[in-house]
Amino acid sequence: MTTTLQAFLIVSAGLFSIGLLAALSRRHAIFILIGIELMLAAANLNFIAFWRFAPQPHQPTGVMFAIFSIAISAAEAAIGLAMVIAVYRHYHTTNVDQFDQLKG
Amino acid sequence: MSYLELLKLASPEAIVVITALAVLTIGLTTGREAASATVSTAGPTRNAGSSSSTRSAALCSFVAALGLVIAIGAVLMLPRNATLFGGMLVITPLTSLFKIICIALVFFTLLLTTSEKSLLHPGEYLAIVLLATVGLMLLVGSEELLMIFIGLELLGLSLYVMAAFDKNDVRSAEAGLKYFLFGSTSSAFTLFGISLIYGMSGTTGLAAISAKLATASVQPLLAVGVVMTLVGFSFKIAAAPFHLWAPDAYQGAPVPSAAFIASGSKVASFVVLGKIVLVGFAPVHGSAAWHGMVAGWSPVLAVLAAFSILLGNLVALAQSNVRRLLAYSAVAHGGYTLIGLVAGGRDGFSAALFYTTTYAITLVGAFGVVGFVRRDTGGDDLSNFSGLYSRSPLMAGSMAIFMLSLAGIPPLAGFFGKFYLFSSALRASPGHGLLWLVALALLGSFISLYYYLMVIKFIFVDKRAEPEIDHRLPITDHVLQKSAISLIAAAVLLLGVMPDILAAQILAAIP
Repeated sequence: MTTTLQAFLIVSAGLFSIGLLAALSRRHAIFILIGIELMLAAANLNFIAFWRFAPQPHQPTGVMFAIFSIAISAAEAAIGLAMVIAVYRHYHTTNVDQFDQLKG
Repeated sequence: MSYLELLKLASPEAIVVITALAVLTIGLTTGREAASATVSTAGPTRNAGSSSSTRSAALCSFVAALGLVIAIGAVLMLPRNATLFGGMLVITPLTSLFKIICIALVFFTLLLTTSEKSLLHPGEYLAIVLLATVGLMLLVGSEELLMIFIGLELLGLSLYVMAAFDKNDVRSAEAGLKYFLFGSTSSAFTLFGISLIYGMSGTTGLAAISAKLATASVQPLLAVGVVMTLVGFSFKIAAAPFHLWAPDAYQGAPVPSAAFIASGSKVASFVVLGKIVLVGFAPVHGSAAWHGMVAGWSPVLAVLAAFSILLGNLVALAQSNVRRLLAYSAVAHGGYTLIGLVAGGRDGFSAALFYTTTYAITLVGAFGVVGFVRRDTGGDDLSNFSGLYSRSPLMAGSMAIFMLSLAGIPPLAGFFGKFYLFSSALRASPGHGLLWLVALALLGSFISLYYYLMVIKFIFVDKRAEPEIDHRLPITDHVLQKSAISLIAAAVLLLGVMPDILAAQILAAIP
């Protein structure tokens, strides 16, 4: 059995959906962060798959994009965790429903 | 392509990065002991350690401002046209003009920062501001999706930190986290959309994508990619229904950060969104005319614009906090600006760019006044603005100019911006197809008049007992900020009377 582009796209679409579901439904800030990371990983999978199955795979655009976006999502995770800690110091919780100083 | 040449073409960005590092170093070497002194003596005797801290802050601001001025000079020295690496770095009159505009907006934001006492580590803060500026410049000066994404993330990540920078303020932290969660979800959407566009077109250069789209028929996957990319950008420009972060970020973030989010980030996002849809997605334009909808990106943007105008203006009516009010009005103004992109073409694009530029200038000034009032009275609710006229006629007059300009009252920049925008939309499609959108926008402007005048009423009419001011800063601290705000007010007036000095430049710069 050979793997096809479609298989990769289905997996990445599933991964993206799971991530989006986690980001929208979870109340714990860390889990939302994990959801976001899943969404980014799904996009990276797309890049690699499209590059691998492209008619002329000698152009490394897709790989380059994936490498850059891995670095960026690492930076994003670092800032996200720092932000969660900053909020935790004030509220002593990471439940996003309880962050209610700003509303209107 | 030698590295030396690359360095020459990227010199404005390089200068800003070097300035950021220099400011960081200065802040770390001079500000450390001062900052810790301020922390340990927090409370009533807070002023004790602040003299050397103020000196360090002043030095940092001066170096940062100097770096920005040099960067503007470097932009002016660039060649007129150049393209590097298939569009990763593009220099055209348009990108140079908007690099200058972005740097100038950051410059004025810096002037607001100088009087912000709540920022304990001015060096670090200014360094992040400068890194965000690099993000703006990369966004403006690129026509390649990878570079655009990197610029977007550099800008976004810097802005999240800037929003959460005031560690002692619970609302700043909360604003930062909310902004971060919404923003990074949206950037995941953008990245996924870009990956689909890359897969379907096999390239990431905007011009190449456009050429590919023109020849092949549009596949469903590509449409998904385009829509997801647009969703990501709608978050960035705070178009409804993706605006949820805006009120919290505007209200909770430190004032200069909020001003940056509202001004520089807005302008750069609109420039790059315009480039993506008008250059990259040009063949799938579609039509949003009421008598002949054609599928494409423009109906999507038209619906976003309509939502933003209605929701932004209606919710702003109910706000009692001036920063939240400005945030919801920003949603509405984002909607107006989108009309220009929906109209498309040279006219519509330049109208949108002119509008977003004047809007950004106005908002920097308005946030300057908000910061002033906040320091004076300790809050930024509408009630804090009452009696501002008797306390500072200059600030009151400037705020009145900003509010009237946002409302679109004739002699001011906002009026001409709206006029230009709506007339270009009417001319754009045959048979006045965009009339429905323009009518909606006019209705929105009428609604907005109420809440802008409300602010003015509080400033000029409402009297209240002089608040007991426990901690007045020496008057010299205000001078720089006050003159910056008056300068911005004068610019808003000037752009209203003689809009051509900017509008003609923008129109000439668009190919």
